[in-house]
Amino acid sequence: MAHEFAEFHDELRSVAGDLLAKDRTVDWPSLVDAGWVGLEVPEQFGGAGASFAEVAVVCEEMGRAASINHYLGSAVLAIGTLKALQPSETRDKLLAEAVSGEVRIAVALGSEFVPDAEGADRVLVITDEGVGVAVVTATSQPVLDETRRLATVDGVEVSEVLRFDGDRDAAVRRLLDRAAVAIACDSLGLCEAMLSATVAYAKVRQQFGRPIGCFQAVKHACADMLVSIAVSRQLVESAVRAIAEDRSDAGVGSAMAKSYVCSAAVDVVGKAMQLHGGIGYTWESGIHVYLKRAALNRSLFGSPAAHRKYLAKRYR
Amino acid sequence: MTGGLDEFRVSVRAWCEQHVPRDWRQSQTGVGDEEFVRFQKTWFAELHSAGYAVPHWPPEWGGGLSVAEQILLYQELAAHDAPRLVLAFVGIHHAAATLLAAGTDEQRRRHLPAILDGEIWVQGFSEPEAGSDLASLRTSARRVGDSYVVNGQKLWASGAKHADWCLLLARTDPDAPKRKGISYFLLDMTTPGIEVRPIRNAIGDSHFCEIFLNDVELPAANLVGAENAGWQVAQATLAAERGLTMLELAERLGNAGFRWLVEASDVDDPIVADRLAQFEAEITGLRGLCRKVVEDSERGIAGPADASIVKLYYSELLQRLTDFGAGIGGLAAHTRLAKPMSSGWESGSWVLDFIGSWEWTIPGGSSEIQRTIIGERGLGLPREPMPERDLVSPRESGTV
Repeated sequence: MAHEFAEFHDELRSVAGDLLAKDRTVDWPSLVDAGWVGLEVPEQFGGAGASFAEVAVVCEEMGRAASINHYLGSAVLAIGTLKALQPSETRDKLLAEAVSGEVRIAVALGSEFVPDAEGADRVLVITDEGVGVAVVTATSQPVLDETRRLATVDGVEVSEVLRFDGDRDAAVRRLLDRAAVAIACDSLGLCEAMLSATVAYAKVRQQFGRPIGCFQAVKHACADMLVSIAVSRQLVESAVRAIAEDRSDAGVGSAMAKSYVCSAAVDVVGKAMQLHGGIGYTWESGIHVYLKRAALNRSLFGSPAAHRKYLAKRYR
Repeated sequence: MTGGLDEFRVSVRAWCEQHVPRDWRQSQTGVGDEEFVRFQKTWFAELHSAGYAVPHWPPEWGGGLSVAEQILLYQELAAHDAPRLVLAFVGIHHAAATLLAAGTDEQRRRHLPAILDGEIWVQGFSEPEAGSDLASLRTSARRVGDSYVVNGQKLWASGAKHADWCLLLARTDPDAPKRKGISYFLLDMTTPGIEVRPIRNAIGDSHFCEIFLNDVELPAANLVGAENAGWQVAQATLAAERGLTMLELAERLGNAGFRWLVEASDVDDPIVADRLAQFEAEITGLRGLCRKVVEDSERGIAGPADASIVKLYYSELLQRLTDFGAGIGGLAAHTRLAKPMSSGWESGSWVLDFIGSWEWTIPGGSSEIQRTIIGERGLGLPREPMPERDLVSPRESGTV
């Protein structure tokens, strides 16, 4: 099965990479036009009928580009939440309007800081009964990572509560797992960008009369970056498959991927900054953008320790 | 998964349940050499009779399982905590890979069936002055009529005292640049002039040895590949150290290794629980990586540094994990003075496993060599400038 999709994923990856490399900031209409918002939405609602596996490819490219946009909150989380609900007139309408770009939706899921809530047309609020469709007052909450948009919400006015399709707690758990894996994908992408930038730099930066990449201290640090990326990729791919196939052990795979990859990413980007030397520490170099995003990713949707705590419950 | 694979899994499971000795970890703890060899040969014969000893060989030589089946076989053997093939290891992996890649028909016919009958092999590559810099080896082989006469010394030859045959690298042209004057031989260990001396290692075992070669005469027919092309032939041997052999070890770490770590741990201690979960994620990543490397190798798309990535990560993870086991085991862990023979490094005797883990970070290309390979072949970073003496022949540089 993996091989059938490989070609499609490569193509999606390359198209996404090209588009995201143009500008760091990508506006909502461009995401809609690219077809990424409706990627995993059934065709009857105007989507592409693909799956989370394809969303994961886009997430990875978002990380690689350290892109500034509303994809996380208004596509990954919003579409994922709407898909988890029982079909209803409101649900179906929201899904179609989100795909067409008419409305932009954010989701308050598991944290007081809501990604991409500022300026959103609706905010979905998880309640004990299901999901409230709300209009809110969102207040931007600046964070050090300038590539993510977080906001606090108040003045929540719920117009309608929609039901989850199946058990509420299980559905929320699945949404959190999805979100965690999406972030792990992002961290994997940003790691790869930083390794390739570092290797390119080590090949051309000369000191002591030779490229610094000749020196074992530098070479071995790059090797360690590659090794942890290779391991990260395995955990991410396996977690993405589990989520896309809605497997019962998806929570385990998601916890492993989120805890390992998002920790490793901070180390990888830290090494990138170190190996770039003084230049790496400048604002101009942009490496700090990746380091801050990696650090924020590590804290989004569960710290590594929280995910490991979940894993460790199984050892009793 | 196809129906065929499902059926295969069922039959492997049934076989394991019937044939994996239940009590081997107890019965093989603290045994002498003779019992170890007997147990290894019996277990090998048992695996062979089921068609599981050399699943990776071509069908005409007694193997022929698909890569998916091989992966599944090793997963099930690990899940059923089967003993490891220690003695047969070099024969079924390195010797076979070499003969299949570069041997003559006659060499294959002579040795491949014999390996299945229990012929034991040792690798004679490293020397006192040729460790990480293997190509600087000095053992010489001089052509005399239909023979070569070999003189020199080999080191770190695992299992040499039990070996029937040796995979030998020796210099045949001291006037050529160092990688271009080496030849690859098959050496009968009963030949006069060979002396094997066991070296006691850090955990007190003596399975690796020195081999002294004094005017050892071997037939020219035992040359593998062309004269002076031994370095290339050796690449096939070294490549066999990865892939499936690593997958087997990773699966063992994921089964018995992790299980015993959890059993030994106070899982209510949040710090311990956190470390365990970290290890579980790392082992899971390693197992995925091993499967990928085996599958990619089969499809001919493995990256040039993949084998090194797997070896480096496994060995260092093993070291961290056994270190942790030794740490949480308290003083009681230090009272385990013997580990079961025929086990890997997940024996549950944590202190011994920890001390023994350097057997993975040093041999087969040390971690430092692996990182250099990953940097240069995997990432394309520039090589360090060669010292001048490496550009000329060993005779010119005065190293022979």
